[in-house]
Formats: sequence, C-alpha cells, structure tokens
Amino acid sequence: MDIDFSQYEPFKPVVYAVKCPKCGTLDYPAPMICKNCGERRDPSGAIFSAWEKVPLDGKCKLLGWTKLYALPEGIEKKYLLFGVVEFENGLRAIGRLLVEEPKTGMELVSTAGLVREIPGEDVAGFIFDIAG
Amino acid sequence: MRKAAIVGIGHTVFGNLSDYDLVDVMSFASTNALDDAGIRENRKIIDQVLVANMGGGIINHQTGIASSLVSRIDLEPAMAELVENGPASGASAVKLGYSLIASGMADVVMVTGGELMRAVTGWVATDFVATLLHPEAEYNYGITLPGFGGIFTRMYMERYGLTEEELSLVAVKDHENGSKNPWAHVETICTIEGICNSPDAKVVNNMVADPLRMYHMCPVSDGAATVILCALDSPKMKYFKEKEPILLNGIGSATDTHCLHHRKDPLELTAVRLSAERAYKMAGLKPEDISFAELHDAFIILELAISEEVGFFKRGKAREAIVKGITRINGSLPINTSGGLKAKGHPLGATGVSQIYELVKQLRGEAEKGRQVKNPKHGLSVNFGGFGNNVVTTICSKE
Amino acid sequence: MIIDEMEKKLRPPEIALKPYPAKMITLANGEVMVVREVHRNEAAVLLETISPLIGVKKDFYDIVAARMYAEVLGWHLYRVANEFVLVGAINGEIVGLVTSRCVDENIGMSLHTLTVKRGLRIGAQLFAAKMEHHLELLEQKEVWIVAESPNGFKRFLIEYELDSAEDRYPGVQHELGGVPTCILTRTLYDAVREQKVTGTRPVPAEILGTADVLKAPGEYPQIPGYKRSRK
Repeated sequence: MDIDFSQYEPFKPVVYAVKCPKCGTLDYPAPMICKNCGERRDPSGAIFSAWEKVPLDGKCKLLGWTKLYALPEGIEKKYLLFGVVEFENGLRAIGRLLVEEPKTGMELVSTAGLVREIPGEDVAGFIFDIAG
Repeated sequence: MRKAAIVGIGHTVFGNLSDYDLVDVMSFASTNALDDAGIRENRKIIDQVLVANMGGGIINHQTGIASSLVSRIDLEPAMAELVENGPASGASAVKLGYSLIASGMADVVMVTGGELMRAVTGWVATDFVATLLHPEAEYNYGITLPGFGGIFTRMYMERYGLTEEELSLVAVKDHENGSKNPWAHVETICTIEGICNSPDAKVVNNMVADPLRMYHMCPVSDGAATVILCALDSPKMKYFKEKEPILLNGIGSATDTHCLHHRKDPLELTAVRLSAERAYKMAGLKPEDISFAELHDAFIILELAISEEVGFFKRGKAREAIVKGITRINGSLPINTSGGLKAKGHPLGATGVSQIYELVKQLRGEAEKGRQVKNPKHGLSVNFGGFGNNVVTTICSKE
Repeated sequence: MIIDEMEKKLRPPEIALKPYPAKMITLANGEVMVVREVHRNEAAVLLETISPLIGVKKDFYDIVAARMYAEVLGWHLYRVANEFVLVGAINGEIVGLVTSRCVDENIGMSLHTLTVKRGLRIGAQLFAAKMEHHLELLEQKEVWIVAESPNGFKRFLIEYELDSAEDRYPGVQHELGGVPTCILTRTLYDAVREQKVTGTRPVPAEILGTADVLKAPGEYPQIPGYKRSRK
C-alpha cells in the first residue's frame, strides 16, 4: 500500500499550478479539464492522470487591489489587503498583499504562506510583497 | 414558443426581519401576490411554485423550503422546487418558471424569492455570501464579495477616470428613489455633501473595501418578493382580470469564469453582455427601446458597469450619464427606480424577483409618487450572481 | 437647595471634570448632528428618551436602555461619581446618547451607547466622542470597555484593536459586571483617531442654539407605530 507520508510532515506552505500532461498548458487553480485541449484530470490519479504539480511563485505584477475591512467571521483582523497579480508565466491569481500602500502595476514577489487557519487545517496561499 | 405575462406581484418590506420565520416572510410576499392577482380564493389554479433562496440551509437551518411554502399558504398539490443560483437565484427562478410555461408543463407559476440574513451577525452573513467564491483560490484567503467590489472599482476608476464624487452620485440617486419606496430597507436620503464632500465624510462614510465606502454598497437585508406568471394562451388567464398583465418579453442568462482572475479583462462583464443579448433577441428589442432599468448595484460601481454592458452607454461613459442626471427618475433613462440594491436592500434570493416586481409596478403605472417613470414601455433588469459569473437579464413590456 | 448631612454622606466624592466642548458632525443624509455634554438638570428628557426602549428586546436595546436609565438616574441623583453624558441631537431632537464615568484621574469606565436614529452611524460617532472626551479632553490614560451585544463586542475589539485588560490587570472586573474587559489606551486611540473621530468646533451659535433645549424623539424606528404623546 502506498502511503503518502508527506501528509504527516510539518506544514510547509506551497501553492501549485497544474500542467496538462497532453499539451503542457498551465492553470491555477487546478481545473478538471484542460481549457486548451480538453484533457481530463483525475485528482485521485486512479483513472486518469492527476497532472504534474508546478509550484507557483516568484515575480509578478499587481493588476488590482483593495484594502478590505469587511472580513468574514473567523478572521479577527481590522483589515487585510488583497491583490490580483499576473505571474511571469502569464497565470494570474488573487492573494494577500503585504504592501501597505500599493500601486497598480507595481512589481511584486509571491511566496506561499499561511493565509488561513481553519480548525484542523492550515491553509497555504499566495502572499505578495515587494522584492527583497 | 408560448408567451407569458406577469399577472400578480407581492413584496415584503426589506430590512431586519429576524424576528420572523423565513417561510412566513416568503408566505407574506406570496399572499400579497395572490391578492394583487385577485386569486386568493382560486389559489389552487397555481400549477407550480418556484422558490429562490440561497442561505436557508446554511443560515436558517431550513431545507425543503419550496414544499414548506406551498403548505404554509395552502397551495397543495402544486409542483414545487427550490432554485439556488447565488444572488441571481431570483431571476433564475423566474427564468425557469417561464421555461415551464413555454414547455407546456405549467400554465400558472408562482415565483417567490426570499432571504433571512439578519438572523446572524454581519460577519457570519459576509462569510456565508463568500461561500460562492472559489474555495481554494478565493474564499480561503478571507476575501469577501465587497473585496471584489473594491478591486473592480479601483480598476474601473484607474481606467476610466471615474472619481469618488461621481461614483457617490449613484448612491445619492438610489437613496432618493429608495426613500419613496415603502418596501426599501434604507429610508433616509444621502447627500453628496454628507457622504463625500463634508469634513466629516471620511468618518461618517467609512471605508469598507478601498476605494468603496459604506454608502457605496448595499446593506444586509431580509425580505421576500413574488411574481405570478401565466401563459397568455391559457384558459386560466380568465382569473386575472384585476390588473393589467405585463408581458415577460425577454429573459436570458449567461455564465462567466468562477475565478475573477481567469477573465482576460476583469472589467468586461461578459455574462452581463451575453445575458442581455439573449434577452434583447427574445424580446426583439434593442437597448434604445428600454424605458428604465433595475440593475444589480450590490456595489454601486456595478450600476455603471452593467449599464454599459447592456448597451445603454459606451464603456467608461456611464459616469457622464450619472453626472448629467440621465439615470435619475426624471432623466431619459431612469435606473434603479426602486432604490436598487443600494437603498432598497439585497436579500439575496429575493433580489431578482424584487427587480421584476419593480418592472411590473412601473409598467402598470403604480409606483409611488415621485418615483413613477413617465409612460414606460419596456423595463429591463439585471440580476448578477457571484461576481458576475452567472447573470440573468429580464425584459418586461406593456402588452 | 440646601443638602442635609445624611444626603452629603450618601453622595460620592467627585472629581471636577473639564467640560466637553460641543461639536457638530454632518451626517450622510446631510443633517447636522450637534454632539454636546448634557447637564444634570436635563436628566428628565434623557429618561424620557430612553424609557420606551426598555421594552425592545431586539438588538439588546432592553438591557442597554434599562441600564442606561439607571445610570442617568444615578448621575442625576448624585449616586455615581464623575459621570458624564453626551448626546447627539438633530434640530434639538435626541438621536443618541452615551454614558461614561471616570474612576480616577487616569482611568475611564465606559458605560453605555444608545442610538435612537439608525442607519447613519450615529452610535459610532457618539462612542468615538466619548473616547475623545476621556482621552483628549480629560487627558486620561485609558478607558475600560465592555460590550453587551455581539456587534458591539466585535466592533470595539476589532475596529479599535483594543487591548485585553486581563494581560495588564489580572482578574480585573469592569463595573458593568466583571465580564472580560478591553482597554483603549491613548496609543491605540491615536492609531484610529483619523478614521473614527470627527466633528467641527466651535459650533456656530445658530446651530448650537438648536440643541439648547433637547427634545425626546417623537418616533422610534425600533418600535413600529410608536408616537409620543405630547403634553
């Protein structure tokens, strides 16, 4: 029996895009069908391929942002900043923004970090900041 | 295809109804519609009930709501189903009701949308609405719908040069209309001085999702609304003699990507455009034929952006319309005559039905003093689900 | 009035509090709200304002109104030391009020905030004015705060990013019942002042004059159908 022992390791935040095994198209978050060629993905890997996971991080450009005070139950903060970015590979994503006075179009660097603690689960996500 | 008319409408006040039961609130609007249609005694002529609701299961811990409503107002053995399509549940239910008539499965359909969100705190309600976002790529971050409203507003302002004062004019107009609507959640007017220009404005009108402030977004509301549809060729039309039937002339919907970041241009609301094109095509009308509109201004930027996508104004030009007063009640194209979601309120499942209620009210000439559009022929509503990923456009016309 | 010896014994010693200078705030609907301190001889109109809300269970109006009624009475009858009451008034009609008191020169004890006219963030402005009085005008070091509604609790705790009193004063009990207490320090206040505290001073005489004689509200949005009978 193949056991995934990584699930017992300490939480290491990482966010993955997935790569279509047929045409190589990258997408985030993982779709169930390739937008480009229609290839199916099977998260279990039992019937079809589970697709290769590709860590998504590094340089990105800020397309839009907000400083949000209307936060949901469970996040006890006065506000959080959120941004939409475009990575160098053309993929886009939403994530937490650490820059207090952002400017649309600014260059940022994305790293994966803890973005939410749901009881029993640490959630990894994108955290955008100024390089360096 | 069979044609259908709206033959009865009902509404409850929107606001904090948390002392009441969800199905009782829906029943109140439904019974108002039975009375309006003049069929309380003959109510069993209703073949089908559709209920639009998003949060009954999550917030109110109630399921099987459509069956419950039927029983509460003694409509058995009518067919009954629940329609959940996020904040567009209401207009989706009307669309499906029309489809049942068009297919011949039903002649008379009652559509009731309702929501009871004030039963929980604002934070829980905000979290509940956010469950419609992508769970991994959006919801997990703690971003909420106002967050998307903020991102969208900033992008729009940066591209088209919209100012905060111009944006705030939408709220001023909506509050003015809402203050004359007895069902509206927000009864007070707001002024450009009070929410934008006074030295106190930044505190009184606090920031919620930069650059969106409190008076730039809808309140959390409870309430319900009902419309009753009847096939025009049905012998049951004989029961509806009291009110002028209003034609459900066109209805269309469309979807867009679940994640906002998948849209090539996040400012293009493709589902709005496509749903409107479908509705115009069905009605045989063009944007210039529309006399007035109810547009889903959960965040008031959406009134401007939607009005452009449905073809009323060119992209980036809706700001000129609000500044010139074109969309005010006495302008050439009044928008959100009910007060819109901004002032009337936004009980999710009720909203789409309430917008169509308003179209009927205006087309019948029954709107209250000071908010009746002059001689309207065709009204259009846009009910916007998710952040534009599922949108329904409806056109109602005087026969 | 001459005060007899027994009454003198019953009255707590008081610190002379600096007066709160009136200010005016333009609300979202364009109306101008005067925020001013109430004098002890104006207690009647306050009690008249508060009393109908004692029967309103929704949104914790009952507990807030009942306790505030007692606080105003306690202040009027000299049974509470160093208390002050601020009101918000539009054209002289009371739209909200706050009660508070000073424990000593350094510590303020926030009591209650009651909003009659809703939807205009009047409660938020009056609560902020209360904090302004404690920390800026009375120059106190901190204000102790508890909330009696979930909304109030989250609003204070999150929007003002309050400290927990437990860390600094283990076992501390707020006067309102010893529930977990939060503290607004001058540093925390200064951090949010720009977003929370507003108003213009001095208030022009013609506007201030509208609030000279306070009136109790004729109607309450919390009590559908209520009409105050005018004598």
